[in-house]
Amino acid sequence: MGNKNEYKVQVRNLTKKFGDLLVLDDISFDVKENEFLCIVGPTGCGKTTFLNSLSKLYDITAGEILINGEPVDLKKHNIAYIFQEYSNFPWLTIRENVEFGLRIKKMPEAEIKERVDYFLDMVGLKKFQDYYPDQLSASMLQRAAIARAFAVKPEVLLMDEPYGQLDIELRFKLEDELIRLWREVGTTVIFITHNIEEAVYLSERILVLTNKPTKIKAEISNTMAHPRDIAAPEFVELRNQVTDLIKWW
Amino acid sequence: MKKRKKINGVRVGIGAAAICSFLCLWAFATREGTTLGILMPGPVEVFTHLVETTYTKVGPLTIWGHMFNSLRRVLVGFTIASCCGILLGLAMGWNRTLEAIFRPIFELLRPIPPLAWISLAIVWFGLGEGGKYFIIFVSGFSNVTINVYTGAKSVDPELIGAAKMLGCSERRIFPSIVIRSSVPYIFTGLQIAISSSWAAVVAAEMVRSTNGIGWMITAGQSVGNMEQIMVGIIVIGVIGFLLSTFMRGVESKLCAWSRVQDS
Ligand SMILES: Nc1ncnc2c1ncn2[C@@H]1O[C@H](COP(=O)(O)OP(=O)(O)OP(=O)(O)O)[C@@H](O)[C@H]1O
Ligand SMILES: [Mg+2]
Repeated sequence: MGNKNEYKVQVRNLTKKFGDLLVLDDISFDVKENEFLCIVGPTGCGKTTFLNSLSKLYDITAGEILINGEPVDLKKHNIAYIFQEYSNFPWLTIRENVEFGLRIKKMPEAEIKERVDYFLDMVGLKKFQDYYPDQLSASMLQRAAIARAFAVKPEVLLMDEPYGQLDIELRFKLEDELIRLWREVGTTVIFITHNIEEAVYLSERILVLTNKPTKIKAEISNTMAHPRDIAAPEFVELRNQVTDLIKWW
Repeated sequence: MKKRKKINGVRVGIGAAAICSFLCLWAFATREGTTLGILMPGPVEVFTHLVETTYTKVGPLTIWGHMFNSLRRVLVGFTIASCCGILLGLAMGWNRTLEAIFRPIFELLRPIPPLAWISLAIVWFGLGEGGKYFIIFVSGFSNVTINVYTGAKSVDPELIGAAKMLGCSERRIFPSIVIRSSVPYIFTGLQIAISSSWAAVVAAEMVRSTNGIGWMITAGQSVGNMEQIMVGIIVIGVIGFLLSTFMRGVESKLCAWSRVQDS
């Protein structure tokens, strides 16, 4: 998937205010092609605001966000966003939910079928494809949202504390699924979490944010090979390192 | 599945038993020699009269003709009310400007009961069918509007965001997300509206009519024919029940997704 050194996402002097409230204060960083970046930061520091700005749901106050060196354009750039709350369309079945983005992009029917089958199978929801979202459990809905996001084979995948409300066992399982999907699709992932262990487990690099007005406090690279062992000494050391940084909030 | 069927069976049984007891109570209260019995016919007399009216005319028509005319009025008024209500509700729910314009007027008109419109209906639409359609329209319109408005207002912004992310253009958001997610609210509105429209048919047919179930009741009253009045009342009740059952059936077909939880 392209050149590893090429920047996929470039954030330049990003500033976001809500009225007089300064949330993001002149933030700059880059994300490489096919990188898995985790962002951790205190509650209310503007993590969701950052993803909403990147995905154009919010207008930004100053600065710019570039994808492949160009301003973000949802028609051109293939971005998928998994929200903090599951956002499946309740009036569509699980299968139709996964198909939604592909139909909008007017993909050929045969390809839609093939992709949807593939991703439903991957998240283990093939058997539940004709159910409506209200009939499924929280973890299944989250997996459906993941399948829907991955089915469009996004260049950039944004995830906002997607596993925040799940129990530990499911969380581990979905983290592994995510890593597998990320490798197979070769997408660039920006993953927000409160959970330091999760960040160390998943990411290739971790950005630590400060309290509002938010700046980047530290940037930690994480080169351990997958699958990672949460009990390994280097894992524990990295986790402690990030935890120490966070204690200063 | 089996358990649910059993519970349904029990429920139907209890309902039937309750109706039977009510009929017995009615028969007992109006038996030979009671004061109520002089004023009011018993269930057997009313039922006999009901059967008679299916082949002998009451006024100009048999009961089928009266039913047909009442249903026609209700369906015309209800259809217009539904279309207008859905359009206005969606418009107010989705567009801030339209909301600012129509909401205050709507909130002022909403509490006025359909009956209060009768004189105006006559002045505006005359004594013919127009006035009757109008009364029925008024009794359904605000129910539809308020529900659809609530529905369009409460569309989850995250779903709109998700759709945009998946490449949905601004123009397509309205039909694919806003309308779709308002469908259960639309049906709630339609269901309340069909019942209140049907209930308003009596009032509508009080405006100088010559047929209809409402007319049967008013006409029965003016000649003191209690059996005719009772037949009219029962037919109103039964048809009202059938109409709302029908609406609920359509709803559960079309909004299977929103009903799955409470089925
Ligand atoms: N649409 C908005 N209008 C006004 N203020 C907002 C809006 N969205 C967010 N904010 C404010 O911006 C700040 C950052 O919010 P944001 O939701 O981005 O935080 P977060 O880091 O995602 O928090 P959490 O960890 O709880 O998810 C908060 O103080 C919030 O009150
Ligand atoms: Mg957030």
